[in-house]
Amino acid sequence: MSDLRIINVEKQYKQPQQKDNPAFSLHPINLTIHEGEFFSLLGPSGCGKTSLLKLVAGLLQADNGEIWIGDQNLTQVPSEARNFAMVFQQSLLFPHMTVEDNVAFGLKMQKVDKKQRLSKARDMLEHVGLQSFGSRFPDELSGGQQQRVALARALVANPRVLLMDEPFSALDPGLREEMRDLLSRIQLEFHVTVLFVTHDREEAFSLSDRIAVMSRGEFLQVGTAKELYERPLTTKVASFLGLKNIIEGNVESGYFRSTDGSFEFIVDATTKNGLSCLIVRPEAMQLVTEDSPTLISGIQIQGIVEQMKFNHGFYSVKISAGESHLTCSLTSQQAATLCVGQTIALQIEKKELWVVND
Amino acid sequence: MWQKNKPYLLLFPAIGTIVLLFFGGLFDGFLKSLGYFPALDQKDFNFTAYRELFRSSEFWESLILTLRVAFLSSLFAAVLGAIIAIFLFMMKESTNGSNSSIWYRLFQLPLTIPHLVGGYIIVLLFMQSGFLSRIATNLGFIETISEFPVLVNDSFGWGIILTYAWKEAPFISLMIYPVLSRIHSSWRDVSRVFGASRWNYVREIVIPVMMPAWTIATFIVFVFTFSAFEVPFLLGVTYPSTLPVYSYQLYTSGTLADRPEALAVNIILASFTVLLGLVVYAVNKRWNALKGWD
Repeated sequence: MSDLRIINVEKQYKQPQQKDNPAFSLHPINLTIHEGEFFSLLGPSGCGKTSLLKLVAGLLQADNGEIWIGDQNLTQVPSEARNFAMVFQQSLLFPHMTVEDNVAFGLKMQKVDKKQRLSKARDMLEHVGLQSFGSRFPDELSGGQQQRVALARALVANPRVLLMDEPFSALDPGLREEMRDLLSRIQLEFHVTVLFVTHDREEAFSLSDRIAVMSRGEFLQVGTAKELYERPLTTKVASFLGLKNIIEGNVESGYFRSTDGSFEFIVDATTKNGLSCLIVRPEAMQLVTEDSPTLISGIQIQGIVEQMKFNHGFYSVKISAGESHLTCSLTSQQAATLCVGQTIALQIEKKELWVVND
Repeated sequence: MWQKNKPYLLLFPAIGTIVLLFFGGLFDGFLKSLGYFPALDQKDFNFTAYRELFRSSEFWESLILTLRVAFLSSLFAAVLGAIIAIFLFMMKESTNGSNSSIWYRLFQLPLTIPHLVGGYIIVLLFMQSGFLSRIATNLGFIETISEFPVLVNDSFGWGIILTYAWKEAPFISLMIYPVLSRIHSSWRDVSRVFGASRWNYVREIVIPVMMPAWTIATFIVFVFTFSAFEVPFLLGVTYPSTLPVYSYQLYTSGTLADRPEALAVNIILASFTVLLGLVVYAVNKRWNALKGWD
């Protein structure tokens, strides 16, 4: 198996000239990406995602640690000999070369003869839907088409790992979605290992087999999109994934009690005592109506509707419950019966209550 | 009406002077080269001066020397200028530009030195009793300074070639360097990831990108060295001399009868320059080397 293994890789940058800005460092990172896996590094700008990607690519030299692919140690192998490919934020096509020559560039460097490399380039352009664009120059293409060419250039040489540094962030939303679909299809077709960097959680969720959430040069959590969303290990991860219902409290004698007393329920025996936070997903809160069934194991809370916003086919409703402000997702039908200022009851199943010790 | 014509009227004094002095002089020279010389009471037009010129062996030897000097000077300056520009570019990439600006200024230094002074520097350095021959003698490489090769005032024109190569290389690098600066800093990373060594990067990306500017700069140097006067006058020999010097020799030979021939040489020089300009324009247009930028 040609898994990509990153073992204790770390990088310390020099202290910047402004002394109040501390030097950035990438803490020791350990990670195994399986062959054919789509793995994303997700985090805010400046958290070290691109640095890690460049370390894997060999464009940056690590201070410590090793990078392996299968049973080959790549740590000292220069970038040009790693047989990786990379797609950058900008397409970075060479403007003096035609689209076909750009796609065939990697093969030319591998000394593949002209006829063969151009034929492969044409094939790959067909895969990305640009079969008739081979003789054009990059400035004759739109941003999306340029990025397709960049993807074709990366895939044509059959790379061991495809590295992608926020490749769709410069595209408009419609095009971005189209490119995601294309990438998903191509990744399955070629079964290529992908290490993808993004700060867009939707992008990471829709594409990845597994995701690593990064902050300040370290991994906060690694898991599938579902694991991260439903079981975030820290409030930091939850916040970054857009979970806003974070209620501070305390775990003691097998009970979680929120600071304002509005939440109280039994927790698992495995939950540690001490200061904790309850994380509730917006869609886990159900509106209690005359017709709705009462949950056997769960909690019920009362709240006053503060704000209602229509959002992609459902309503995002803000309520205040005690000192906490919560957001829940309700259907248009449910929201039609509500108005701002109304007191409503919400119920949450026990298994949806997620308590983390911070 | 006034608003529309105002820019042209304001430009008129400058354009008028240029037209009068440059094109007027050229036209006057052209008329005289055709034998129209009212001062000598010659008012007919004929091609005698051109015919005489093409028959004389001095003219052909002079033309061969001029072409050789211009070609070799441009070639050396082009290679040297490109090396300087690529060196500066690579240094800027690897050191984030901290030292490259100092080197950039240093390499530009010869631009500030007049051609005549540049010529004298070459004389002082390369003549048989010059600086380098004395060093070579003192170090024991040669026994006497007369063994040092004749590089100044030689019939091949090495002195002129050396002066122009030294003087024009910074000009060529000055023309290429801004083009190289447009190279995206991430292109090196892109090329590395796709397997390009440093040399591959230079061959596949850097050279094609700088080619149009390089060609034009080399052409300018060629045209300049082809028709320049002072350095060949200072560092050349009396026979054969380059065409501009030959023209000067004819013009100042003491007899007015040689003047049409002297001016015919100038007209040939000017025509050749225009012709070269057209050729380079056509080549560049066909190459379309800037295609794809922006």
